Amino acid sequence: MTVYTGSHSHGQGHETTFAQLVADQLGIPMAQVEIVHGDTAQIPFGMGTYGSRSACVGGSAILMSLDKVKAKGRKIAAHLLEANEQDLVFEGGKWSVKGSPGKAKTWGEVSLMAYLAHNLPQGMEPGLEATSFFDPPNFTFPFGAHVAVVEVDAETGQTKLLKYVAVDDVGRVINPMIVDGMVHGGIAQGVGQALWEHGVYSDDGQLLAATMMDYALPKADQLPSYETERTVTPSPVNPLGIKGAGETGTIAATPTVANAVIDALAPFGVAHIDMPLTPDKIWKAVKAARK
Amino acid sequence: MYPASFDYHTPGSVQEAITLLGKLRDDAKLLAGGHSLIPMMKLRLAQPKHLIDLRKVPGLAGIREDGGSIAIGAMTTHWQVESSKLLQAKIPVVSDAAGMIGDPQVRNLGTIGGSLAHADPAADMPAVMIALGAELVIEGPRGRRTVKVDDFFKGLMMTAVGPDEILAEIRVPVPPAGSGAAYQKFPHPASRFAVVGVCAALTVDGKGICTKAGVGVTGAGTRAVRAKGVEAGLAGKALDHAAIEAAAAKAADGVDVQADLQGSVEYKSHLVRVHARRAIEAALGRAKGGK
Repeated sequence: MTVYTGSHSHGQGHETTFAQLVADQLGIPMAQVEIVHGDTAQIPFGMGTYGSRSACVGGSAILMSLDKVKAKGRKIAAHLLEANEQDLVFEGGKWSVKGSPGKAKTWGEVSLMAYLAHNLPQGMEPGLEATSFFDPPNFTFPFGAHVAVVEVDAETGQTKLLKYVAVDDVGRVINPMIVDGMVHGGIAQGVGQALWEHGVYSDDGQLLAATMMDYALPKADQLPSYETERTVTPSPVNPLGIKGAGETGTIAATPTVANAVIDALAPFGVAHIDMPLTPDKIWKAVKAARK
Repeated sequence: MYPASFDYHTPGSVQEAITLLGKLRDDAKLLAGGHSLIPMMKLRLAQPKHLIDLRKVPGLAGIREDGGSIAIGAMTTHWQVESSKLLQAKIPVVSDAAGMIGDPQVRNLGTIGGSLAHADPAADMPAVMIALGAELVIEGPRGRRTVKVDDFFKGLMMTAVGPDEILAEIRVPVPPAGSGAAYQKFPHPASRFAVVGVCAALTVDGKGICTKAGVGVTGAGTRAVRAKGVEAGLAGKALDHAAIEAAAAKAADGVDVQADLQGSVEYKSHLVRVHARRAIEAALGRAKGGK
């Protein structure tokens, strides 16, 4: 089974989640599913992955195509089994006639006949392929709550992220590990933006933070082990009930951590510091507020 | 970036390396762990025509007790220094500071001699060596000579090691009973170099009077320096909170503090004073506790 998708994966794990979706719907092993993406020689059109849309939109389009392929496969299987379609049972990737499970047709047999085409139902076009476009009626609205515990050294302005708890509702989840991975990576990115990352230019336009020795990306030892949980409220706007998951961490972590730092500084009367909340800015703000 | 092209030499002895250096002079650079020189070469801030790799020279690595000192071979890696049972028992601050350098990969390749001879203004070890009153053993065509650490750091990335000489060994005197030392560092969020690093080494007598104080400051200026004002403020005094505070207030005196992306001269001077106070407090705790 080959799936051609215009939704490109650059680390989001489409090869896994889309293959899971296909395997689940067709009753075949994931190893028999190939996900093709990102190749303009093979994909007629694609706009990539953005807006946390791949599973919601791309996944729904795959589901629509799977429905069409399954419907046609069922007709072929019924024909081969000389039975009525409505008497067929589809289970474990095989069709059989109700009451006689011994006589069954597999996806392999049905697919072969779809292309050999010498024994198809009257008037049926050969082939077993479908193309679908899914135009969602609305956006999905993932929601959640993120909480950070931050310690600030008031003397030096140094910050330390002690604890981070993220509870998100991204609707139905195809692969919990991949969603957790996206949440984890997103939190790191958000924390980096809140505390360290700063593309500083000199007055004459020279980028001063031009190397990874100067530009401070978040690193493992600066981050705690996150606590992540989920609630599941399926989205009504796509057949899978999925909501965007890829940006929950990036969007939530930045204000969460910045607010935690400002909360820690509240006793000094500090109400705002522009991001990133670097130690020197925190020190200056505390000093100014103490005057 | 790729470095400019260079010839690569692997001498098999200190003598062979010195002969090569004498022949190639300014066109050659010595390579130890490569964690300072290679990045500079990649940015083409350094373009030596010849690299003389010291890693195949026998006898330059290792840690041993020699009289009243611990002798550390120049090619000893930061990890070997960090994990040395001998250093941990006799002068633990050296191991502590080595463990704060970079990350495990850097510590597995970078060497104590390379760090000291490179004299990066933000390197950690120079402050520790100044505080402990180390001696540097230098090999050259005229034989072996020993330089006190106060005569070693000459300026930005400049040391007493001549163009045809090699830093061979670092000798750190084992402090007497009633001594304690500590290194306090404010790490750069990206590079992990010291934005500010202060090492304090104290000896206190039975009455709690400080009989000897060594304080080294790194990171803030163009080279690591001895904080003489702080030492004078500690020696001969009972180290109560007020005495420590007053002594630490002089920590930035005599440091040519440089403003950079991590903060203003005012902020970094403040960091020097705060870290001096914390280093003194920690050192005193160790001195009273035995080590």
